[in-house]
Amino acid sequence: MATSEEIAEAYADWRARSNENERLKKMVRGWDRRVHLSTTDTAEGYTLEVRDQVLSQLYPGHVGQPDLIVTGSSEDFCDMFWGDLNPSAKYMSGEITLAGSQEDVMRLDAISMVAFLDQ
Amino acid sequence: MTTEPGGTGPVTPAVGPPGATHPVTSHGGAALRRALGLRTVVSTSTGLAFAALEYLAAAGLVAYVAGDSAWIAIGTAGLLALLAWGFFGELNGMFPTAAAIRLYMKRSMDDRVALIITFTYMTTIILVIAADAFIVGSALSHAFNEPTWVAAIWIVGLLALAVGANLRGVHVAGGVQDVATYIVLAATLVIASAALLRSHAALRYPLQPLHGHHGTDFIEAVALGVFLYSAFEWVTTSAEEVRHPAHVHRGMLIAVGLLFVVCSVATVAMSHVLTHHQLTSAYPQLYLGQATFGQAGLWAMAAVTAVTALNTFNGGFITASRFVYGTAREGSLPRQLALLNDRAVPWVPVVALGAVSLVVALVVALTHGWQVLVAVGAALEAMIYCVAALCTVRLRTRAPDHHRPFRVRGLRVLGVVGVGLFGVLALVASVSVENKFNPVPLVIIAVAAALSAWYVLRVLPRVQAREAARRAATPRRRPPRPGTSATGPPPSVAS
Repeated sequence: MATSEEIAEAYADWRARSNENERLKKMVRGWDRRVHLSTTDTAEGYTLEVRDQVLSQLYPGHVGQPDLIVTGSSEDFCDMFWGDLNPSAKYMSGEITLAGSQEDVMRLDAISMVAFLDQ
Repeated sequence: MTTEPGGTGPVTPAVGPPGATHPVTSHGGAALRRALGLRTVVSTSTGLAFAALEYLAAAGLVAYVAGDSAWIAIGTAGLLALLAWGFFGELNGMFPTAAAIRLYMKRSMDDRVALIITFTYMTTIILVIAADAFIVGSALSHAFNEPTWVAAIWIVGLLALAVGANLRGVHVAGGVQDVATYIVLAATLVIASAALLRSHAALRYPLQPLHGHHGTDFIEAVALGVFLYSAFEWVTTSAEEVRHPAHVHRGMLIAVGLLFVVCSVATVAMSHVLTHHQLTSAYPQLYLGQATFGQAGLWAMAAVTAVTALNTFNGGFITASRFVYGTAREGSLPRQLALLNDRAVPWVPVVALGAVSLVVALVVALTHGWQVLVAVGAALEAMIYCVAALCTVRLRTRAPDHHRPFRVRGLRVLGVVGVGLFGVLALVASVSVENKFNPVPLVIIAVAAALSAWYVLRVLPRVQAREAARRAATPRRRPPRPGTSATGPPPSVAS
């Protein structure tokens, strides 16, 4: 079970990598979205935003109305933000669930993949 | 930034995201900003089923039963579609996700068998896209009074346009799709009804489907009739974006009803006013329009045919390419198939789908074998309904406590009936073309299944071994917790 500090640290790393990635910036051009994250094991909620091609900081709680809702375990979120976990594999196995349009899901997965392409 | 345990507030002061006007909500309490309503679910389900190929399948069905009573075969097929609706409703309720087919199949059977069936089934999407490109190309060529070979240019142009639009991330918005689908249905219904009214001739055998035919012909007609509803279940891939989960199975039910009405009237009208030559052409719907309203009717149906392609190309390309992308990301297909362009579109599956569809469409244009495509599609669709029945039955035993918002009543009987009936229909449809024994559809399906099996049994283990080796060689980025080891591969490496 990952603590919210661990998730915040992982997210900060992911955010920095994503915001520095020029290719990723192109991919999210015009894609301004709000994402809610929900953990199944710790019953916590977080909110992040993509606005003007920039990934926001991670806000605690569910803020505003989301375009996309991602639900998974705190460990999965932590591993995903560190780039140690393939969210698609977890999604295809039903361990991560999503609510939102397929295109938004694709973009979010693109962020998670492209941010670690140099790995 | 760090947050206090429980996510109740930031340690580092942070304000809400710009534009946030809603209060902080509790876990899982928020509704999506953009969600699909029932109207769009119905239009998606109906639009995916009502491809241009629908008109050819409907006209082809007339060969098996006394034409005026074709509606009985379509109605019987509709009852079977309702059976399939029950299975997909229960499975979609259990797994309300675009990845549902992977989830319920691999939990019901060996994953290798599940993958072979899934890859074989994906052939249907290629066939439908190819068939629509061919039909729209032929229809436009006929409408413009051009030589037959010009249809090939239309086909190339249409598919190039579809691939280009997909690569640029252009999609038909839900509202446009609603309008397009309901226009297609309304126009087909109006023109078909007008054709019947203006023919000034009574129906000949509206209640005698076997007049001049054998009982086996009726079974073949029903097998073909199932194809008229095929793909209505693809809307389950939208389960993650609906306003209310129940919209999906309600929408599918309404779609089956709409398809029954429109297809029945169109088939009876075509059988009533068209000649055998017109019925067996690549554009019977144009002749139907022409017979009803002259040249204006022909152009109206040409436009309607083009609009059906809008839905097919939009839905088909997105469904297939995203499925291939997801499967590649999961590690069951080569990683190259998950490459994204700058618009976050999986460009390799889109281009490959366009290229394969083009080849199939041109082969059909050369051989005039569109009824073979219809038979292959009908057989594959019956096959997947049979598999859905099997999965529903097996999951009742394997996952009895799984939440099921929708349950098929009497599954013990209906499940067995579904497996048996759809299995027989798949077999019947695969060896019959235009009321004659023809094993070509079965051969095409067998080749697709053999290629899928070869890939899953011989190639996939190597793909997975390479992926495992790459994963093992990639160091874990997450810092170890105090007192734990930093070694060992990550659970599953991204990218």
